[in-house]
Amino acid sequence: MNQRAPQGHNVVTQSLAQIGGCGLFLLTLLAAIPRSLRYFRETLRQLWFVGAMSLTIIMVCGLFIGMVLMLQLYHVLSIFGGTSASGLVVALAVYRELGPVVTALLFAGRAGTSITAEIGLMRATDQIDAMEMMAVDPIAYVATPRFLAGLIAMPLLACVFCAMAIFGGHLVGVTWLGIDNGTFWSNMTAVVDVHTDIVNGVLLKSLAFGAVVTLIAVYQGFTTPPTSEGVAYATTRTVVASSIAILALDFVLTAFLM
Amino acid sequence: MTDSARATPADSILVRVRGLTTVLGGKTIFDQLALDIPRGRITAIMGPSGTGKTTLLKHITGQMRPDAGEILVNGQNVPDMSREALYKMREGIGYLFQNSALLTDFDVFENVAFPLRQHTALPEVLIRSLVLMKLQAVGLRGAARLMPHELSGGMARRVALARAIVFDPQLILYDEPFVGLDPVALNQVLKLIRTLNQTLGITSVLVAHELAAVQQIAEHVFLIANGKVVAQGDPKSIAADGSPWTRQFFGGEADGPVPFQYPAGDYASELGFAGAAK
Repeated sequence: MNQRAPQGHNVVTQSLAQIGGCGLFLLTLLAAIPRSLRYFRETLRQLWFVGAMSLTIIMVCGLFIGMVLMLQLYHVLSIFGGTSASGLVVALAVYRELGPVVTALLFAGRAGTSITAEIGLMRATDQIDAMEMMAVDPIAYVATPRFLAGLIAMPLLACVFCAMAIFGGHLVGVTWLGIDNGTFWSNMTAVVDVHTDIVNGVLLKSLAFGAVVTLIAVYQGFTTPPTSEGVAYATTRTVVASSIAILALDFVLTAFLM
Repeated sequence: MTDSARATPADSILVRVRGLTTVLGGKTIFDQLALDIPRGRITAIMGPSGTGKTTLLKHITGQMRPDAGEILVNGQNVPDMSREALYKMREGIGYLFQNSALLTDFDVFENVAFPLRQHTALPEVLIRSLVLMKLQAVGLRGAARLMPHELSGGMARRVALARAIVFDPQLILYDEPFVGLDPVALNQVLKLIRTLNQTLGITSVLVAHELAAVQQIAEHVFLIANGKVVAQGDPKSIAADGSPWTRQFFGGEADGPVPFQYPAGDYASELGFAGAAK
């Protein structure tokens, strides 16, 4: 595997070249999916690393975001006597935006960086070349299982994040600030729409974010110069590019799905 | 075409290189290179650093495509091969990387078992037997459960060798197998290469700088410089050859056809003395 990051003359052409290279890499990844099915155990192993191992950070952050959101909303809504709607607003904010977006940003920081660093080091230590020489396709064995694992893990992690955020909101709103438990849940169930808020808001967005983050992470890993500095830059690029891509894609998806 | 290439019967040649031309970053690495690697023998490829020895190995395995020329392995032209054909060919080739390139997530046993698990559906008992046999051959059966970071350089090289021979390949390519080894480890690797060649009849291609080590095992040496084969023959006769290339390379002379200085502009003007000189 001798992929190299495309080179350009300035920031704009370099960025365009990176996007083009990433697009071509996506096609290579998709074409390798049938071949990677025989590495199902590797996909499961990666699912454990990028999914299960990210659970703690996702759960803790979800809990605190739900708590702080409820705290802020309660104080603002109390001015207008609308504290009973706090739970509903927390739920809508979490389902529609914060759940998938914050999960994706955390996922990029936790799983994306580790994917890039791992593949980059594999390249630097000739492990990718060794696989090629053992007639094992590194795209099918290394890249695609990680891509598929990210694709599967992200919606699940976003669901866990949302559940923890609602729990955090409930903890602060009902247990601490005294909002009626029945009002908290009934307002939420009356307004939250499964299709618009859960399927489109959480699942579809997080699926798209999962695809983008893991694609960027794997691409950066495969194209990084095989040096310690190269791996460091590639890891940073994964976080920066993923964060921008997540927020830009969030706007586009929201505009289309609303 | 070299004289020996013409003299050797076609079926006894495993790798035939003709008109190989490679340009990397504007620098000509190979210029119409031609050489033949005989079947079942140990061939060494030597030459100054940066002369393209590792690149030649990468051309033979299809990891790099040349700009022009033919690389025939078992009569099949490598640059023309499809990905599937290339992978099929590589199943019959062992490659020992300079830094061993062991998979760091797996222990020694799993590293050696990796090609078997990927390409066969052998029962676990058989995989275990095969792996232990190969590890026994390199003297590391007792290290089967060690992780790569727990191995010394020499041990890692031997594990990589066990992995390279796990499929009993017809060709093994060794990229700088002696670099960084202490005398004991170097002799162990030398003995292993010789034993593998003699007992299994494996064709071995060795890229190395250590003339003393090469003289102990190689039957034929190619000296590559300036993109061409500048000398070839058995290790003793090539070292005694009086050509400027062999004299400088094997004699370790600092000056000669291989320049000490990397190509550069005028030294005085770069130091800012150009005006003063006038």
